[in-house]
Amino acid sequence: MTDRRRVLELRGLTHRFGGLKAVDGLQVDIDEGEIVSLVGPNGAGKTTVFNLISGVLKATAGSIRLLGRELVGLPAHRITHHGVARTFQNIRVFPQLTVRENILLGTHHWTRSGMLGSAIFWPGTMRAERAAEAEVHTAIDLFRERLEPRLEDPAYSLSYANRRRTEIARALAARPQLLLLDEPAAGMNPYERIEIAGLIRSMRDRGLTIFLIEHHMPLVMEISDRVIVMDHGVKIAEGLPKEVHSNPRVVEAYLGRRAASA
Amino acid sequence: MPWHKRLWESGPYGWNQALTRPQVLVPFFVVAATLPPLLQYIENNSAWTGAEFWIRILTTCAMYACLAVSLNLVVGYAGLLNLGFIAFFAIGSYAYALVASDQLHQHLPLWSSLITVIAVTLGFALLVGIPSLRLRGDYLAIVTLAFGLIMRELTIDLDRPPVLAGHQFGPSDFNLTGGTAGIHAVDPLRLPSWMPLIHGAAFQSRTYYWIFLGFLAIIIFCLLRWRGSRVGRAWVAVREDELAARAMGVNTFKYRLLAFCTSAVMAGIVGMIDAAYTHNTFPDNFNVQETVLVFIMVVLGGLGSIPGAIVGATLVTILPFVLQQLVLYKYVVFSLVLIVLMIFRPQGLLGTVSIRPRATMGGTIELLTAESAIAASELPTVTDREAADLESASGAIVAMEPEP
Amino acid sequence: MDYFLQTFPQQLVNGLEAGSLYALIALGYTLVYGILEMLNFAHGDVFMVGGFLAAGVAGLFIHNGVAAVPAALVVTLMVAVAMGGSGLLGVGIERIAYRPLRNANRLAPLITAIGVSLLLESVVQVQISPAPVLVPSNELIPQSVLQVGNVATPFTGATLFVAAILLMVGLDLFVFRTRFGSAMRATAQDREAATFMGIDVDRVIVVTFLIGSALAGVGGVLYGLRFATVDFFMGYLLGIKAFTAAVIGGIGNLRGAVVGGLLLGVLESFGGGFISSQYQDAFAFLALIVVLLVRPQGLFGQPLTDRA
Repeated sequence: MTDRRRVLELRGLTHRFGGLKAVDGLQVDIDEGEIVSLVGPNGAGKTTVFNLISGVLKATAGSIRLLGRELVGLPAHRITHHGVARTFQNIRVFPQLTVRENILLGTHHWTRSGMLGSAIFWPGTMRAERAAEAEVHTAIDLFRERLEPRLEDPAYSLSYANRRRTEIARALAARPQLLLLDEPAAGMNPYERIEIAGLIRSMRDRGLTIFLIEHHMPLVMEISDRVIVMDHGVKIAEGLPKEVHSNPRVVEAYLGRRAASA
Repeated sequence: MPWHKRLWESGPYGWNQALTRPQVLVPFFVVAATLPPLLQYIENNSAWTGAEFWIRILTTCAMYACLAVSLNLVVGYAGLLNLGFIAFFAIGSYAYALVASDQLHQHLPLWSSLITVIAVTLGFALLVGIPSLRLRGDYLAIVTLAFGLIMRELTIDLDRPPVLAGHQFGPSDFNLTGGTAGIHAVDPLRLPSWMPLIHGAAFQSRTYYWIFLGFLAIIIFCLLRWRGSRVGRAWVAVREDELAARAMGVNTFKYRLLAFCTSAVMAGIVGMIDAAYTHNTFPDNFNVQETVLVFIMVVLGGLGSIPGAIVGATLVTILPFVLQQLVLYKYVVFSLVLIVLMIFRPQGLLGTVSIRPRATMGGTIELLTAESAIAASELPTVTDREAADLESASGAIVAMEPEP
Repeated sequence: MDYFLQTFPQQLVNGLEAGSLYALIALGYTLVYGILEMLNFAHGDVFMVGGFLAAGVAGLFIHNGVAAVPAALVVTLMVAVAMGGSGLLGVGIERIAYRPLRNANRLAPLITAIGVSLLLESVVQVQISPAPVLVPSNELIPQSVLQVGNVATPFTGATLFVAAILLMVGLDLFVFRTRFGSAMRATAQDREAATFMGIDVDRVIVVTFLIGSALAGVGGVLYGLRFATVDFFMGYLLGIKAFTAAVIGGIGNLRGAVVGGLLLGVLESFGGGFISSQYQDAFAFLALIVVLLVRPQGLFGQPLTDRA
């Protein structure tokens, strides 16, 4: 299907921390509607890649194109506005905001509501606020039973799993083109992992492109269209889940040389 | 659960929600507004003669309440440490004094002087804010602290023409700020001239209580509207987790600047009203001790809480008068109170800002123990065998009945 | 131009003198910031307390006519009391006010710090004296004026400079050449990792505050002897300038604090001498703004990573 758009294009992406190359010459292509997993042992540079794409870090060299638009050098909030949303490895919801307000934060970049307008009940502003509230309703669609009863609870009072769901709903509310999920299944039990798997597929069915970092291999194997393996900042393998799984270089990266030749 | 128990259980977040409802705020302002006539009535009908004194204290109280609520915007909502906060109050009072007294021979009417005050205060706020708000919170603190000090020195020094590199800038009778004595005979606020019958009438001293109260009502209204909309959420997000806020598309610099400038302008307007009320302004208005005092009010009441700011302002203003000995030791006692509060109860009475890290917030530490992760979820634990079975039946979300 | 050339050396010397005082206090700021990433606003007031302690000791001997006590002994006692008193004060402040908030929100200890600052200032103001207190400097230190060419500096000024330099060199040796010093540097780089290496982080922090505050105390003595007066507000302005110096040099960097202090002193001296002595303090503020705009990490600091 050649009429699928190229959503993400990384070329020669390099990032240095002082003398250390955390990411070295990475090349990645992701098309619309794909679910691509980024895996690799700890310290491989995976979260750094996410930080580079989302603008938290500025790449030392290389290019990041989102639907053709160059992202390197843009501030993080502009990148979100262009269509990238992400979740974090160690869940970053806003503790003092309610679930509803957290999710509303996702709508921030596309809601036209300012200080003056909200103070004087300006009709355009009121309409924008209502549209944002409606988006919350859509965003929690995939976890309605879990989050709806808790919409007015402050985020610090939520369980771990619910915080994860809130974070994902918040990212969805941003109406992104590309969703970056950083270890979405971390700390989850098998039931929850299945729920996450279904979630990711549902999100893809709604038109999202998903790039995820994950350590839990069965989950990765199950939902990914493609898998990219990194080690020490470099891509060492790429392909269908099954291909990558038995690639000796990949085994070596995780378990060491002897295991690979075993 | 009876409603009062539910309210108590809801914690500071719930209490603030309850106390800022119109059903609570409107009666509060009505009652507050009737205090002066009430005191006067009591004086007229008894041997007590303290009405004038206490009305003046109430006026000061209302003024500090305005300042505390404004500081709450920048420190409580947006999490910015503006240690030069009182400097904007002083700038506002000087700006008004300059356009409404004989210092520059200007006597602007109400609206023009208000616009001038807002413009001048906003200008200084941008001057200080733009360079420093991109940096860390501690840097902002020191820059604003230095700003307050420099402004004080400038106002003391500008009663003669500045001499730079041997050149005098300005005529020899140049006296902008009145030096250490300040500016006196500042005009009171006058009703606009287009008003029929009462046009141009000056406000009496006693009415300034209602003017401060009215301004307090306006800023509380604005703050509540903002808190419940996109702007307020962005402020709290930037305060709570700046990185995540940026990842969600919030331009953190812009929102910090908005909070900083808005609170500065609010303080400036309070300064204007104060200058009109006391008919003068002087360099001591810039003293850092005043900033710390307002901080104490906000921290005592609780960072992030509007009712808290009002309670804090009231306590800190009125207590020294109730306990006579306190007046001399005011700063000693209140700075001790601040320190003790920060050690034992940094959230004060009604605070909603996360000061201490919460034990229940998850993160990498929690990931280390699978048991805790399972405990944190609401789904039943599952054996490895069941897990394997479930995972092989891929594709379906297993709907779980939540535990009753 | 002639005027410039003529007075340049004098201004330079004045600047170095003032700068060495800024550097001494800046060291305390930068030490604490390096380890705790917190600005100890109360530091300037610790300097002030040191000055008052020294003034108190001096007053005790001079005014009670305890004759025949050699001036050198009195001065030594002043320094000892000031160093000890300030050091203990600093340690006490850390223990009581800052330690409970060590893992809290970054702004919390700052709020406490300004509370401590106000407390110190108001206690001294109310309990001791709201007016400046005289230090009998001329009875303790030779008031001669050293003259080299057309540059004059009072003996007390030169002492200030030399003493400050010696102390800073001593501190540098301590931090970079001793085992405890490397423990301090390790804690500054990564507090958690330092605990894993068996470093008693609490002790490192206490010693850091002790050293920084003691240095500030010595600064107070030197200031009192140089200007013959101390007042409850002196820590405030000087504290801000010392902080500016630390930022110029790169906050967290010891040598940067020294360089920054001297540089700021010289800058101020030139500004005050050639442009306007009235607006001298404004130059420090200007310097702060310029540094924060152009190079926020200071001269020797690491480029500020994205604040996360």
